[in-house]
Amino acid sequence: MQTFVILAGWALLAALLARQGMKAAASSAPQAAPFLGGGTPDSHAWQRYHFRPYTMALVFIAFEMEMMFMYPWAVVFVSEGLTALAEMGMFLAILSVGILYGWREGVFRWE
Amino acid sequence: MGMSPLARLALRAPVPVFAAIGPGRQADVERLLARRGLRRALTPRDAAVLLLAGDLPPDAMEPLGRVHDQVPRPRRILRWTDRTETGDAVADRLATAWRGLCGGEDGDDDLQPDAPSNAWRGVGPHGQGGTGMMGGTPYGRPMAMTGLDIRDGLQLDRYTARLGPFAPMLPPGLVLELTLQGDVICDAGVVCPPFAQPADADAPVLCSARMLALLGLEDAARRVIRGGRPGALWLRGAVPRGLGRIEGGGDARERLAGYLAGTPAALAVPPLPELLSGLEWAEAMLVLASLPPSSILRATRLREAA
Repeated sequence: MQTFVILAGWALLAALLARQGMKAAASSAPQAAPFLGGGTPDSHAWQRYHFRPYTMALVFIAFEMEMMFMYPWAVVFVSEGLTALAEMGMFLAILSVGILYGWREGVFRWE
Repeated sequence: MGMSPLARLALRAPVPVFAAIGPGRQADVERLLARRGLRRALTPRDAAVLLLAGDLPPDAMEPLGRVHDQVPRPRRILRWTDRTETGDAVADRLATAWRGLCGGEDGDDDLQPDAPSNAWRGVGPHGQGGTGMMGGTPYGRPMAMTGLDIRDGLQLDRYTARLGPFAPMLPPGLVLELTLQGDVICDAGVVCPPFAQPADADAPVLCSARMLALLGLEDAARRVIRGGRPGALWLRGAVPRGLGRIEGGGDARERLAGYLAGTPAALAVPPLPELLSGLEWAEAMLVLASLPPSSILRATRLREAA
């Protein structure tokens, strides 16, 4: 019972606060328009742009994953022999697809 | 006067003024707003008083209405059209207006009707929605469409808007039509040239203050305008090397160093579309701020004549 009262009290408080906030946020149509120093936009500002760190992160993960698995692999390489070599070859082939993709996107062109 | 404690606190803050500058008054306004007790707001939303300096041409009245209505209520518009009125007198009027607003005065009404600039026009039976992520016109305004990106060769959305004539980072009166992809300027066009300003607006002090304010060093900019030292170490390090290089005029960093040393710049600026295309937004604004207003005016006139 006590829990219920506390929860209901908080919910009521939150609703009252939200009501108060909404009143303050009421703005006229000109105020809802973007500020362009008196100018006007042709389209909405919502747009897809090139997020440059994305490709950088991709390359980082590609190279870092490689190194992360290469250390334990190097430890067991002598005992496992050819199997380990083939497995690592497959792993690197898959990872290199990501690197090739990054290459195509131009991540290696440092500016 | 029954003033709430909050209003009394607000009254002690500098007056937030958004400046709409007309022909010939740029230097006056910049010197005025560097005074103690006044603050130049960067957006109307941040301001309470709209200062209109000079006589605006008729085609600037509609943009003025838009800016005026974006100042939150209660607001006050002050006109400074009389050239003989001193800065002291205007500063007094601004302070009086601020005192009135803090004291609970109603302020000025909207100049434009309180209706969305575009009517809702969706494609659905109830006027909702569009087709997918592109092609819809929510709130009567289309979504951005893709176009070839100039930097990476990807298909990215293009955003076209006209900026000005009262954008605080542009010279007063200049209306630029910019097409942006992310923050890269793909296309730039001059819709209206800036207002003509007296030679005083080219003063090295004001040019350097414009750059400093744009870099976020507003206090340094104030100190420079008031005739002091900027009070910051290695200022030109804030401007990247090689930005906005102009034949015979150096780059933006060298121009800032020149202004700080007190040498005015006389430049032959290439047409603005050539100068701004391919730059990022922040770089482009810094390049524009690094040029004296008269050079920008000449560059836009060159464009019109061509």
